[in-house]
Formats: sequence, structure tokens, C-alpha cells
Amino acid sequence: MVKALKEYLGKFIALTDEELEQLASAGELRTYDKKIRLIKEGENEFYLNFIIKGLVRKFFLKGDEEIITQLAREGEVISSSVSFLSGEPSQYIVETIEPTTFISFHRESIEKLYEKDVKWQRLGRLIITDLFLQKEGWELERILYNTQERFVRFVSANSLLFQRVPQKYLASYLNIQPETFSRLKHLLRTRTIQKPAIS
Amino acid sequence: MEQSVRDTDQYAAYIYKFIQKYIQLSEAELNRYLPYVEVRQFKKREVILQYGQVENYLNLVVKGLVRKYTQVGKLEKTLQLSKEGQLIQSEMSFHTRIPSSMITEALEPSILVSMRYEHIQYAVDTIPGAEHLARQMMTYLFIKKDARYFKQLKNSTRQRFLNYVTNHPNMLQRVPQKILASYLDIKPETFSRLKHLLKDPKKEDK
Repeated sequence: MVKALKEYLGKFIALTDEELEQLASAGELRTYDKKIRLIKEGENEFYLNFIIKGLVRKFFLKGDEEIITQLAREGEVISSSVSFLSGEPSQYIVETIEPTTFISFHRESIEKLYEKDVKWQRLGRLIITDLFLQKEGWELERILYNTQERFVRFVSANSLLFQRVPQKYLASYLNIQPETFSRLKHLLRTRTIQKPAIS
Repeated sequence: MEQSVRDTDQYAAYIYKFIQKYIQLSEAELNRYLPYVEVRQFKKREVILQYGQVENYLNLVVKGLVRKYTQVGKLEKTLQLSKEGQLIQSEMSFHTRIPSSMITEALEPSILVSMRYEHIQYAVDTIPGAEHLARQMMTYLFIKKDARYFKQLKNSTRQRFLNYVTNHPNMLQRVPQKILASYLDIKPETFSRLKHLLKDPKKEDK
């Protein structure tokens, strides 16, 4: 469990076992069944959640339509991050897709760590930067690639997620009409379109 | 592109005011950053960062107007417009050190106060409080980025147009219409039509 966290944080910063222990003890273990909402629109987000096991989505409502902006699985972080960082009410909903276990860090616990050592401030900055770049990457996918390209790129890079995530969620996440998504899936199965190596 | 220490001093007050948005800083503390700051000047329509180059700078616009865009087939897609008091850079390239898929360009004659990547790394390692400042800035940029995407996806074309021109009244004059339409993700024809709509309420006011 702590190992998964260590692996994730290793992307940003080298931590000793003691530091990792200190961080892990600042977190809370939270487990939810599938289709449970961690946060709803208008609520305040207090947690940054690291996923130990499971699958989670983040979305907002445009009229009746759910617009999915993030899909996160083991080893990734999910939160209504703007609300978490700004203290403003959430405009997003975060909901489990599968039964999910998190190590969740409360805003106050993180603030306490920041006060203890500048190292935690750096880690915080690098995680925020990573979230920022994820968002940028998600938008660039939508701008630079057409529907079929987005589909193929996603399937190639996330073949396991492709099996796990309900089709309508994936279609929303990739901004593809459900009917088009089915057609592309069929084309993939009949090998009319090829999976390229992702650059 | 010229630079001297005097140039930097000239903009110290501007930089000071900008930083105060994020943290409280004494003048002595600010002075620790100034040696790492460069002043860069660009002509109208001059490219600041070319596609394929690695972004080495974080830029604060002190005068002028800068846009960030990318080429999609034959079309240009504008992703950011930064005027006085705002930051601009090719973020993905800057943080990951890979070649930029974006181009930054001055839309007006522009003066930028810039800090190099390695100087920022040095600053956060050596200047007390710099790590805190950097985190506050990153947090602010993240919130702004999310807000832009959120509005882009949630609001209708008409709402996006009206919100933008209401909140940025001068930009309609400063930014070429084609670029503004791309930035707001509105078709040029639709943009022209919406602009006409805008004139009507004014007439009624008279």
C-alpha cells in the first residue's frame, strides 16, 4: 500500500522510508463501494485522494449531460482539485466506478506538513504542476486529434482501462458520440483500423 | 532583444506588485530575485517561442499582448491571450523539457520580464520562501486553467462570447477577430453575428 504511494511520489521527489512513513501517517484510509459519490456539486473538497485500488471518475453536468474530465485508477490521484486548492464549492462530482480504496490527505494535514519542512512544499508544488499538465494534455488531445485518432490513441495507451471503463463513460471522456464510439470499437475489432505505437 | 540591469530595475515595482498577488514579500526579499530576471522586447508579430523549441522561460507581460497557439492542419488554434500583468509560456514544454507543440507570438509590441528555467530551479533551491511562492503561483495557474476549460465546455457559444467581452472590454479592439474567435472556440461567422448582437443593447440605452 505504502509501496504504491512511494512509486507515485518517486516521479516527483526522492523520499526516505521515514519521510514516507511520516506522509502515510498523515493520510486516512478510505474505502467506498462502487458508484459512490465522494463529493457533489456545491460541497467543499477537503481531500486529495490517492487510489490504492479501484477506478474513479470526475465529471460535471451540462444540463442533463455528464461531461467526464478525468478517469483515475490505482496509482493515480483524484480530487475536486480546484475546490481543494481554492476553498470554493466544487463544480465537479467525483464518483467511484469500481469499489475503491484511497489514502486521502486532508487539506489541514497537508498544511501541517508544509509547515514542518520545505520538502513537503516542493512535493506539493510538483503534484499541482502534474495536475496542471494532465489538464493541459487532456485539452490538447481534443484539439490536436480528430475523433478516430483520439479513440485509437486512448485504446493503444490504455488497453486495460478500455476493458474496465463503461463505454458511455469513455465516450464522454474522449468527447465522442456514443454511436460513433460503437462504430470505432467495431472497426477496431474487425481490424479495419490499426493500433499504432503511441509516440 | 537587449537587456541591462537598469531595465530590470525599471520593472522592479511592476514585478513586486505582481508577486504580492501570491505572497507577502519585503523589498529586500524581492531584491534576491531580480538578478535572475531578464527584460525581453519583441516587435509586433514577432515569434517568441517557435514550434519545436524547448521553452526556457516563464514570462510576465509588462507591456503588450502575447498569444499562444498551435497549428491544427491548416488552422491556427489560439489557446491563450496574455496582456499586461499576466503570465505566458509553453507550459508542457517548460515543465517536461520536451520540444514545444505551441508557438508564442507578440500580437503587439511587447515587453516581457522573464525568468529562465534553471534560474527558477536555482531560486527555489536557495531563496527562502521561493518554494512557497512557486507553489502559490502554480496553484493560481491551475485554478485559472481549469476555469477556462470548464467555461469552454459548460457554457454555450453565446454565453462564452458575452462573458468574455463583458470581462475583457478592451480585447475586442486589441485582438484580431479571427484570433479571438479561435480562442473562444467560436466559428468566425458566428463571431461576427454575435458582435452585431452586442451593438443592439447599446442603441437601446441611448
